[in-house]
Amino acid sequence: MDLLQGTLDMLVLRTLLAGSLHGYGIAKAIHSSSKEALDIEFGSLYPALKRLEAKGWIASDWQMSEHNRRAKYYSLTPAGRKALAREHANWAEFVSAVGRIMGPLPEVKG
Amino acid sequence: MSLWNRLKYLRPARRRREEREMREELESLAAIAGNNELGNLTLAMENARATWGWTWLESLVADIRYAFRALRSQPAFFALAVLSLALAIGANSAIFSFADALLLRPLPVTDPSAMFDVAYATPDNPFEGMSYPDFRDLREKSRSFSGLIAYRLTTLAATTDPAAPGQIRLTALVSEHFFPMAGVEPVIGRGFLPEEVSAPGQAVAMISHDLWQQFPGGEPVTGKTLRLNGMAFTIVGVLPESFGGLDRFVRPSIYIPLAMSQRLAAAPVDPLEDRGRHNLVVKGRFNPGSSLESARAELATIGVALEREYPKTNHNRRLTVRTELRRRIQQTPQLLALVKMLMGLVALILIIACSNVANLLLARARARSREIAIRLSIGAGRRRLVRQLMTESLMLALAGSGAGLFFAYGGIRLLQTLNVPSEPPSYLGVQLDWRVVEFSLLAAVASCLLFGLAPAWQTVRMDFLSALKSGGQGSTGHPRTLGRDALVVGQIALAMVVLIAAGMFLAGFRRMLVMVPDFRTDHVITMDTAPEMLHYSPEQTKAFYRRLVDRVRTISGVESVAMTESLPLSPSQTALSVVPEGYEFPKGTEKATVFGGAVDAHYFDTLRVEIRKGRAFTEDDRAGSRRVAMVNEQFAKTYWPNQDPLGKRLRLDTPGGETAEVVGVAKTGHYLLVNEAPASYVYLPYEQNPRARMTLIVQSNGDPATLAAPLRDAVRSIDGNMAIFNLRTVSTLYESRATGTWLQLFQMVGTMGCIGLALAVTGLYGLVAYTVSRRVKELGIRVALGASRKNVVWLVERRGLILALAGIVVGGLLTAAVAPMLMAGFVGLNASPPGVYVIVPLALLMVSAAASYVPARRAAALDPVRTLRDE
Repeated sequence: MDLLQGTLDMLVLRTLLAGSLHGYGIAKAIHSSSKEALDIEFGSLYPALKRLEAKGWIASDWQMSEHNRRAKYYSLTPAGRKALAREHANWAEFVSAVGRIMGPLPEVKG
Repeated sequence: MSLWNRLKYLRPARRRREEREMREELESLAAIAGNNELGNLTLAMENARATWGWTWLESLVADIRYAFRALRSQPAFFALAVLSLALAIGANSAIFSFADALLLRPLPVTDPSAMFDVAYATPDNPFEGMSYPDFRDLREKSRSFSGLIAYRLTTLAATTDPAAPGQIRLTALVSEHFFPMAGVEPVIGRGFLPEEVSAPGQAVAMISHDLWQQFPGGEPVTGKTLRLNGMAFTIVGVLPESFGGLDRFVRPSIYIPLAMSQRLAAAPVDPLEDRGRHNLVVKGRFNPGSSLESARAELATIGVALEREYPKTNHNRRLTVRTELRRRIQQTPQLLALVKMLMGLVALILIIACSNVANLLLARARARSREIAIRLSIGAGRRRLVRQLMTESLMLALAGSGAGLFFAYGGIRLLQTLNVPSEPPSYLGVQLDWRVVEFSLLAAVASCLLFGLAPAWQTVRMDFLSALKSGGQGSTGHPRTLGRDALVVGQIALAMVVLIAAGMFLAGFRRMLVMVPDFRTDHVITMDTAPEMLHYSPEQTKAFYRRLVDRVRTISGVESVAMTESLPLSPSQTALSVVPEGYEFPKGTEKATVFGGAVDAHYFDTLRVEIRKGRAFTEDDRAGSRRVAMVNEQFAKTYWPNQDPLGKRLRLDTPGGETAEVVGVAKTGHYLLVNEAPASYVYLPYEQNPRARMTLIVQSNGDPATLAAPLRDAVRSIDGNMAIFNLRTVSTLYESRATGTWLQLFQMVGTMGCIGLALAVTGLYGLVAYTVSRRVKELGIRVALGASRKNVVWLVERRGLILALAGIVVGGLLTAAVAPMLMAGFVGLNASPPGVYVIVPLALLMVSAAASYVPARRAAALDPVRTLRDE
């Protein structure tokens, strides 16, 4: 399933709400929490991480991973939390607006 | 991302750290996830870097680095291309600075584009100043302007030492708000206070930076007393160096309030209250929302109202508003013609230089075909490659314009010597300033597009497979050089246009050299004095000049002495308004404004101005006797065609003025410029028309320059305070006005011709040499088959000559189109003698033959065995 434009940043922020993760961990978390519907290309995720970091919405530091390897872990900053709240509200509004238009699936003859 | 955040990523240290971190991070993630899981990590990193927002800069820097390397590897190509461009852009920049000084430079005020010129137009004169009462009414009534100022220029005798005679200084008398509206602040001292400019009060003056520099250093200049025409003014401030007043060619030294007019002139009535005195220059700044159209409409209405209210002084006067540039063009249309011609010719030079560089680039494109083919085959986009090649071109152009500024500087130094010696000095502000630098950058960008785009496109469009296969040399045999041939033909054609223009100016110059002046220029010296600056009454002035002439006659070495109001060819000519008897004026006009002035009885024989009919003035034409006048042949021809002018009558000045009878007709001469169209002239006898200022003409029997000191003494012995100026021999004036201008024009156009010729010939040589190098094998076979050296030389020569001939034919056609435009712009430039049309093509052919001979000889010297083996 393809992502809507701009939703990747929101997904990353939402995923990090649960706690800090490294880049590969984020990809896996999105994959699993979407019940494997969303398979994020790491090639697109990584630039998104850097973009969010440059905006100051997430921060990173080196930690030991579960495999006892050093990895860079990303976590939400207070600005990131605010941004997530904002994006979330926008998202909800968007979904309900689209929902109002689409309604229950009409019977399509033909 | 905020600008600040983005800027942080520009710091090299920051970038290095980020990149290292990213590499480490990705390596460890790859170890956790396994390689295939994460995909192309290099691409991920590349995209992450792109989020910094500087990729365009990175690729630009890479392009520039690459271009540097490419250009450095071919120093000869680089040098030739840069030199071509430097010559052309330098010439363009120098001419631009000249055009800037003549016409284009904006007023030295803040926001000059919002400043407009307001003037009267009458049927006889499109430019008449306003009177102060009219200006005041305009300021009250007009809604278009947020501010209006008025000023006038005059010459005053200025001195700080009450005992010494004054020096002639150009002075501006300025209205309220003059400096605030110009946005000019004094660098020392203060500006005028409102009460100082609105009414005559404390006599205060501001001085120019130049004048301040002439004061002895160390002492404060503010508070000093400056005597202007004998009246004491206190200096309150010094203006910045950048402010030279609102007029071209002159820089006032002194600024005083217009309100001082009456006291300065010691006049019984205030000249500012005289509505008939139309001598103020008026400029205004528009309100936001005003346009030229709305202001024009409003001023027309105000003008009509003023005319209705004051029919005596404002009859037939229309109020007009125009931009500064329009005003300058209307004032000096001949300068516009000059500027257009010079800019046009240097633009041709730039085109020649650009085709030269384009030619070099095309030759280089073949040599680089292998490199380009490799880059294309490993996936570089054509668009990207064009950008790369254009970066190289742009660097060439910038290097050319940088080096061109040195040439421009040299040219500007030469142009700065263009000046007429006069007091106060005229000032032609040719200078190397930011405008010139900006112009040369613009020329660089334009030329880069001109010479770079086509070759770049051609380069990347080539068939790169065959280029790779043939090892970079491309196919051998007859090289296809149609495009390059066309470029060279065009270069020669344009060079020919410029050379023929130079030939026309040379012919004009030679005509000036052999032209017999219309008056005596040898053994004559002239001197100006201005008794009105010392507030002489008319009677005192007459007495002064009578005594002066008598005294000078007694100086040993003096042959004869005469007086005139204005000397022919001096830059300031006086005009007269006359109504010739019996002449039907076109509707709307009622008088003729022509050159003219008062002369005494000795003028015609001293200056040897030829009388064609009737008689010259005599001592008997004095005040009280029958009023007489003389005209020149042009005047007689214009106003009394096919009639005898002798005995005709002229009414002077305004309707109701005195009438004079024509007693003599002088030969038509040149009055303002040697290349002017024949102009009408009216002479009046001095004794019947006394003037406040006269020029003394003294004929010597030896070197006239030795009379300078005795003449000065003669004036001093009559009045020690009298200012003396323009003490110069007539030959000096004549040379600078007549031959000087033409010589300088010829030098300018001639230099352009030489540059154009050199560039075109370099182009031709380059192409012929290139063809030879491409045909080595063919020529080798020919020699091996028994072709003589002569045959080979001719084979190569022929090519050069064919190109040159084609260029000459095209150039001839172009010239046929351009020459009439040149002649229309310049009175005195006649259809150039047929010689020019023979000499220029012949010279072009000879130079082309010589340029082709060098590669031709090289071709003939080829060793056939070696060339064939090398293949």
